[in-house]
Amino acid sequence: MIIMYLGLDVGGTHTDAVIIDKSGVVAHTKVVTTPHNLLECISQAFKNILTGIDPSHIKRVNLSTTLTTNAIIENKCEEVGVLVSGGPGINPALYSMGNHYYVIDGQIDHRGTEITLLNLNQLEKATKKCRKKGIKAFAVVSKFSTRNPVHEQYIQQKLDDADFISVGHTLSGNLNFPRRIATAYYNAAVWRLYNKFSYAIEEVLRELGVIAPVNILKADGGTIPLHVSRTIPVESILSGPAASVIGTMALCNITEDAVMLDIGGTSCDIAMFADGAPLIEKDGIRLNTHNTLVRSLKTKSIGIGGDSAIKIDGNTVTAGPQRLGMSMAEGGQNPTIIDALNVIGTINLKDTGRSREGMYALEKKSGISSHNIAQQAITYALDIIYNEVMAMIDEVNSRPVYTIHEFLKGKVLKPKTIYLIGGPAKTLAHHITQRFGWNVKVPQYAEVANAIGAAVARTTVDIELFADTQRCRLLVPNLNVNIRIPQEYDVDNAIEDATNYMMQYLESIGVDEREREIEILQVYSFNMVEGFETTGKNIRVHCQVKPGILHQCRDILKI
Amino acid sequence: MKAKSTLGIVFFPAFDWAIHPLHPEREERLLYTLDQLNEEGVFDIDGIYQYKPDIASLNDIMRTHFCFPDVSKVTTESHLISAGGTIKAATLVMDNIVNKSFALVRPPGHHAMKVVHGARGFCNINIEAVMVEYIREHYPVKKIAIVDTDCHHGDGTQDIYWHDRDVLYISMHQDGRTLYPGTGAIHELGGPNALGTTINIPLPPNTSDEGFLIAMERVVLPILKDFKPDLIINSAGQDNHYSDPITNMNFSALGYAKLTEMLNADIAVLEGGYSIQGALPYVNLGITLAMAGLDYSYVHEPDYSQKDLTQDKEITKYIKRVCDQVMKRYEECKKPSFKLMPGNYDVRKKEIYYDTDNIREMQLESIMVCEECRGVLKIETTSTVNPLCLGIEIPLDACDRCQKEGYRLLDTALSGDRYKYVQLIDRKNKKYVLY
Repeated sequence: MIIMYLGLDVGGTHTDAVIIDKSGVVAHTKVVTTPHNLLECISQAFKNILTGIDPSHIKRVNLSTTLTTNAIIENKCEEVGVLVSGGPGINPALYSMGNHYYVIDGQIDHRGTEITLLNLNQLEKATKKCRKKGIKAFAVVSKFSTRNPVHEQYIQQKLDDADFISVGHTLSGNLNFPRRIATAYYNAAVWRLYNKFSYAIEEVLRELGVIAPVNILKADGGTIPLHVSRTIPVESILSGPAASVIGTMALCNITEDAVMLDIGGTSCDIAMFADGAPLIEKDGIRLNTHNTLVRSLKTKSIGIGGDSAIKIDGNTVTAGPQRLGMSMAEGGQNPTIIDALNVIGTINLKDTGRSREGMYALEKKSGISSHNIAQQAITYALDIIYNEVMAMIDEVNSRPVYTIHEFLKGKVLKPKTIYLIGGPAKTLAHHITQRFGWNVKVPQYAEVANAIGAAVARTTVDIELFADTQRCRLLVPNLNVNIRIPQEYDVDNAIEDATNYMMQYLESIGVDEREREIEILQVYSFNMVEGFETTGKNIRVHCQVKPGILHQCRDILKI
Repeated sequence: MKAKSTLGIVFFPAFDWAIHPLHPEREERLLYTLDQLNEEGVFDIDGIYQYKPDIASLNDIMRTHFCFPDVSKVTTESHLISAGGTIKAATLVMDNIVNKSFALVRPPGHHAMKVVHGARGFCNINIEAVMVEYIREHYPVKKIAIVDTDCHHGDGTQDIYWHDRDVLYISMHQDGRTLYPGTGAIHELGGPNALGTTINIPLPPNTSDEGFLIAMERVVLPILKDFKPDLIINSAGQDNHYSDPITNMNFSALGYAKLTEMLNADIAVLEGGYSIQGALPYVNLGITLAMAGLDYSYVHEPDYSQKDLTQDKEITKYIKRVCDQVMKRYEECKKPSFKLMPGNYDVRKKEIYYDTDNIREMQLESIMVCEECRGVLKIETTSTVNPLCLGIEIPLDACDRCQKEGYRLLDTALSGDRYKYVQLIDRKNKKYVLY
């Protein structure tokens, strides 16, 4: 049987698609992204790549799209009724999102004890107002709902005529009320748009004869089945950088501490690996000035790329962050980093004469020689990349830790290898090596690493189990588990349960048995004491299926 | 939301350290505080940043304390990280990385005195003093005020700065006649070279927000204005809270936040506070918001509205009287008073009990009366765990005479075999040696 995997990554400028099988990359295509109708460029990319390929060989389709990200950034979202029960603390009115934000009195404390009941009058008034405005999508969030979801559940019941309700505790087990509000809001705001899109994609694939399961890439570098993503569309935001990271992992067998640089036309994305595993952002990704609970790889984007425009201010030569079009060698109007590389002779790309012309024009204006301008622009760009990488390593190594053990014995990130991908990757490798003094590797297919990453990414899930044996309660908020436990319940039970719940969930969404690799990230068990008596245990288990490459793909890519 | 003052929080809950499993100073202590701060999204607020502590070095401890038999025998890693947390908090402010900082660390330190034989009042190392001495060694800061708002008198901090006229120590606490450690009476005002730079405001049991704020207005703020410190540090103990299990006060989270706003400290350091579910999450949130200049008016405890925290009129009257007496004594300190001629030793005999480790210590403390400097300090100490030991401190601003005298004391001590251990703190030459 022939097994093929299709990966597609929608980028800002281009949409890339690849098909891989056991021989490696069998096809790749690049089409121009049509930002106002993504379905168009996606369909085109599918058509191109499937030319001459039997669609029944495709066993899995993974998509990384910018649909939800764009909708949120461009504010093309649906009106959402946001119902929030905050209780004392920071004034919940400060976290207002959208045009229909209502704070309902009611309080749950950090242990999950309901201190004040929901104010039903206020709730009634708020829902009435929303109905009057014709609102059909809602976000429902209460403070400490991951300790006790009773308020969210109650409000949810009162909205039985809504089309969609985004319920805070089902999105993440983490504590962070403002992030929960933003996440639930975005989730509801893109729900309709996303669902329309997801059905259309299925339709397109059907027409092309592809019957494989479709998965959506998330910012943490993992995928979720398309049908699961329909209730959590917010998980599809900002998946682009993650696609590149997973692609790099697929192309290179990374086992050490390392840095990934994905250098494109406009920007450079930086990511980090610790012992070969991509680093994950502590709480979640930030989008459009709001922090969310959407799990994400730790990546940083800076405004330096091959097309960064060169500028001269007095005696100082700089580049970026603006991109004023392509390099002059490729028909642009302003000299760029690519032109600088042409001038100093690192590369020999297209019309090198125009690169020299552009640099000479700058020489006449500034009195600095063309060669020096080119050299300084490259040095400037490399310095920025170097400083950002160092700052990021420093930030990772100074992350807060909460135990003496971690403080003294915790992992210190010391990368000495750079994996370089993206369009201009090869052209810059020599300079990056010189600037860092590290080992720099440019894998084959570096220019479509993103689409490869999408193709081979495995399904990821992360859960936070919370058990309180005094209250006899166990919660796994994002799996909607809320059960009674006996007082003797202990940390071993909790680890076992966390693993089992995760297994069941993975099975229920159709994840292959081989891919259900669960990793326990953190376990805490606190003795709760009142007076001088132990009253119970407060247990937290955080586990995940970590982002990585599908086993089947490992086999075929031989890594 | 954006902080008006940028705030660095050094958060280190030591989730794997306890004095013993049922002790108030246990793993669970800052768990609910962390949950509350995380759930409120405090670390996402623009201008509030979280930092990892440093670890205090041997020098950092020996610059501050006489530890017998040595530092390693009276500390664990947790103490060094907790002290390192305050050092981190200090450098964040001193290097202008943030406007203010809050060391939310444990274990606490304000019962640890100049001499350390073990733990007392859950404290081994005085984390504020380690920080103050670090600041004075590395930055050109002269005058520092420590305002201690823990419910227990900070007898350790008072002891360390008793003779130091450049460090103003003000403590407001539950009256020592009703609570551990028993000290902190109005008449405790500092040693002969530093009279009036130790101030104690003993408050009666059941003092509420009103009483604390009266003490702030009538005593703390006027004396601070008078002293003109370069830096204000708050020993932010949280056991004045109405729900604290081991004290008897009626202070609220909102009250703590108001006090924090009035005091406007540069650096706050967590001290005691053992109502870990009912108080700490809310008090720490209140202090954090107040330090960052953010609205704290919505912060209150779950049972706040049901509690009657109105202060009895008699208590208010009594507190006002205490404040008047403190101010009267403070003013008297400025007048010339009887003291020994400069060049003579003023001697105190002290008996100290280490409740946490059950150690008894006997001390003979001699300070050189000096008009030029803080005066050379000599402490002879013996305890149930150590034979006679000697500590000699030459102050940062030592005059020639006091410096020479310090080394004379050292030579004499080392030439005989009277003392098992001798420690020299030469602040002027940054020499910290255990012989």
